[in-house]
Amino acid sequence: MGRPGKGAGRLTRLALLTAIALTIFLAEAQLPPLAPIPGVKLGLANIVTVYAVFVLGPADGLMILAARVFLGAVFSGQMMTLLYSAAGGLLSWCVLCLLRRAMGRGQLWLCSPVAGLCHNLGQLLAAAGVMGSWAVLAYLPYLAVAGILAGLFTGAAAQALVRRMDRLKQ
Amino acid sequence: MNKRAKLVLALLVVALAGSLAAILSGRERTESPVARISQGGQVLEEIALDQVERPYTIEVDSGAGHNTVLVEPGRIRVSQADCPDQVCVSQGYISDGTVPIVCLPHSLLIEIVGGGGTLDGAAG
Repeated sequence: MGRPGKGAGRLTRLALLTAIALTIFLAEAQLPPLAPIPGVKLGLANIVTVYAVFVLGPADGLMILAARVFLGAVFSGQMMTLLYSAAGGLLSWCVLCLLRRAMGRGQLWLCSPVAGLCHNLGQLLAAAGVMGSWAVLAYLPYLAVAGILAGLFTGAAAQALVRRMDRLKQ
Repeated sequence: MNKRAKLVLALLVVALAGSLAAILSGRERTESPVARISQGGQVLEEIALDQVERPYTIEVDSGAGHNTVLVEPGRIRVSQADCPDQVCVSQGYISDGTVPIVCLPHSLLIEIVGGGGTLDGAAG
């Protein structure tokens, strides 16, 4: 993808990536849960999030993420989950922005598991707030492992995507 | 790999190892388990599981949906839920304080707290 910085080009690019992320999100939601632990999933739509934050910049990444999380909750009919996804997404987005400054594009695969970990941490904190109980933190070790592994997978996929997009541009 | 990347990798490995250690060491038996069912921070019911004689069900309604909780001697589970993901149902029975059952869409929480002489804090 080229770099149309503003206007219709940027809007089109954001809309396209949002549509891709939303499609992946809804397709993944049809799969049965991977483990009988709430919050464990691959989060394949975050391939787009990670790619957008690293290649297009934090602001564009946040817009795609927010649109996807909101529309995903609307289309899957689970408004309550919006809160959890938003908390996780926001925390992982902050961490991704920090890591983007500290490390280059080549280390994207390494940033994604950290973001995955933070995503699940944010989700769990939101759940603790909603439930009004710290008992849900018993899930932290399970969700930490799941977040790191899922982040590693989506990170590797996003890394492959970046490499191919760079080759296209040459 | 530069220095920062190595640092991040090291942190990840530590987090992964710590979590695995916590999972493997976190198995504990709870004496005379008491199941506490709560929704959105409010305790709805507390059941001493070892005093249950025959299985019965409890219906829990929230604005968002409905769950059926099955109580049996010594153990408890969510047997039906009208949410699409069914995570709480597939979690099955719990009987000790290792992990609680949560239904995120309906903000329902079923945890086992130590009753009788055991320390409450041990389950948290």
